[in-house]
Amino acid sequence: MEITQEFVADGLARAHYITNQRVETAVFLALALDKPLLIEGPAGAGKTEIAKVIAAMLAAELVRLQCYEGLDEARALYEWNYQKQLLRLQADQAQGVRWEDLSEHIFSREYLLERPLLKAITAPRRVVLLIDEIDKADEEFEAFLLELLSDFQVSVPELGTLRAHELPVVVLTSNRARELSEALRRRCLHLFIDLPGIEQERKIIALKVPGLDERLAAEAARFVSAVRKLELRKPPSIAETLDWCRALLRLGTRELDTVAIRTALGVLLKHEDDRAKVESKAAALAPRRP
Amino acid sequence: MTPLRDQIVNFVAALRAAGIRISVSESIDAARAVGAAGLERASMCEALAAALVKDEGDRAVFDQTFAQFFSAPASGNARGQHPDHRGRLESAASGRGRPGEEPSGVAKPRERRQESRAAAKSAQQEREERPADRQARRTPAKAGERGAPAAQSDEHSGEMRQAENRGPEEHGIEAGRVARSRAIERTPFAAYTDLEFVQARDTLAILKRRFRVRLGRRLRIAKAGRIDFRRTIRAATQRGGALADLRFRARRPRRIDLTILADVSGSVRYAAELMLELVAGARENFHRVRSFVYIDRLAEADFEGGHLVTAPALDLYARSDFGRVLGELWDRRAQVLGRQTIVVILGDGRNNRRPARADLLREIARNCRAVVWLNPEDPARWGTGDSAIEKYAREVRAHVAVRDLRELERGLLAIA
Repeated sequence: MEITQEFVADGLARAHYITNQRVETAVFLALALDKPLLIEGPAGAGKTEIAKVIAAMLAAELVRLQCYEGLDEARALYEWNYQKQLLRLQADQAQGVRWEDLSEHIFSREYLLERPLLKAITAPRRVVLLIDEIDKADEEFEAFLLELLSDFQVSVPELGTLRAHELPVVVLTSNRARELSEALRRRCLHLFIDLPGIEQERKIIALKVPGLDERLAAEAARFVSAVRKLELRKPPSIAETLDWCRALLRLGTRELDTVAIRTALGVLLKHEDDRAKVESKAAALAPRRP
Repeated sequence: MTPLRDQIVNFVAALRAAGIRISVSESIDAARAVGAAGLERASMCEALAAALVKDEGDRAVFDQTFAQFFSAPASGNARGQHPDHRGRLESAASGRGRPGEEPSGVAKPRERRQESRAAAKSAQQEREERPADRQARRTPAKAGERGAPAAQSDEHSGEMRQAENRGPEEHGIEAGRVARSRAIERTPFAAYTDLEFVQARDTLAILKRRFRVRLGRRLRIAKAGRIDFRRTIRAATQRGGALADLRFRARRPRRIDLTILADVSGSVRYAAELMLELVAGARENFHRVRSFVYIDRLAEADFEGGHLVTAPALDLYARSDFGRVLGELWDRRAQVLGRQTIVVILGDGRNNRRPARADLLREIARNCRAVVWLNPEDPARWGTGDSAIEKYAREVRAHVAVRDLRELERGLLAIA
């Protein structure tokens, strides 16, 4: 299948991912140039979703590596199945197998536990590799990723170098918990996803919360956008907006007045200070109807 | 070279001159990206951005440079705001205002190229003209230049939203926030006014979480310590005696008592307050934290509802006397010093020529685990005038320059 910009735009639309030129171009380039795509942006802006959408678009498997503090190669790449090797040794002991045969045996692929990175590289078909929240992993792990990202190969001392048959599509996401190294940034294409604007968010609401009255959806989008402009500890993300809209739907809200705003605000804002701030301004933020 | 390739190379040069760091491999990527995405203006812009801009804080500069280079045929919108932008941009990059001359109308490609090359060159010249200033900052060139615009950071972010050459439905709230906090992190404390201080406090909320995580990671050395023989053997019985699973004895957590002394006189006070707040956010990483502020005497400090409270109240118009402060600390040594204590001192060591009492600092260092001195003053000025810092620096384990928020965070991490 040929990768064109139209194909990408079309694929994103089919996967119900509302987006803009910026995202389309970046995704297209990542596919066309076979480069990893580093996505940054606030929590809940849809970073992880992009990887899922790409996988759906290419009908490829999504291999996900969730990063966390203390993540090491054994968890990310591969590990020898120590217990299985031991069992094998004990089983072979009785038969007097020569050491040469034995060592060849127990250091074969059969005794290798594949972790996400190795799985992505050795997969027979093209996969989408999502390295989620790379900023949560330690700096050492980031350095280790560099070899992988530039050459798509991994060396296992006992087996030699494993090279990818099909270059995986790599998507990295970061929440900026820490600054990523220049070396990593250099190897990736970069995409910054921001929280959506009013119009874009209205479309998302209309798509994901289909039962909601159209006018109410527009008002909700406008309200959330206004709320984000206040200096809050945690501005509401898209997911929270959608939850909130679903709550409005279940509550049977017809009109976004101050009462409606106060009722379900806990779905939208998760900090007490933020809630107090918005509640105090609810009257000003409520949309005026003629 | 084809004209397009030529143009991309020049574009990259202009971006570099504007302070964005771009490697050779990235400029190759840019050429490939344009090759793949085509020459349609909007997609070319995004393609170049994806390949060249690896930091959202740089995006505004990129958009301005792009508008200068690849002008839109008749979309007056971007061009209309353009001279203003460029003037601001240059004044920001060079630290002084200079009205940008604007090529009138739609210039021919060749002319345009030369103009932008000239613009890039003049920007470079200006930067070269000011070596003294740059040396004074002695931060990496990129950091310094990015730091400069912070003074107008508020306008800057508004500008940025306009400059983003995108559809009307996009606002870039978060992008503006990122750029602002990045700029403030690199603004030297010496250049702070109350406005910068307020911005820094906002940024600190993010910084606090990051600092806590980083510090925690440093303090937590390997989770597992020595092998626990008894538990290993017990685990092995499940596997017929083979020592398949090794069990480790957990290490005792490191407990650190922290005693902080922060100078709150003069321009140092911004740095002091920010530091106290940063450490207060990471309190759980320490066994015990005692915070003090001083000018000419010592006062215990605490955060109540985000405000610094001192007891007893300090005379803010007093003249610094660190020698006397050391004496007061020494008198309280039973409560605030111990074998597990790390003493962090933030100050410029300007003592108004009063007795330095560095001998007391030596005694204090001998009675605790370490003394670390964080100095918000520019290293070029250390030891000049009434500064007694050189006498103090001899007695402490580390003496670190912390001129802006980034350095402050880095300096504080050095204690772990």
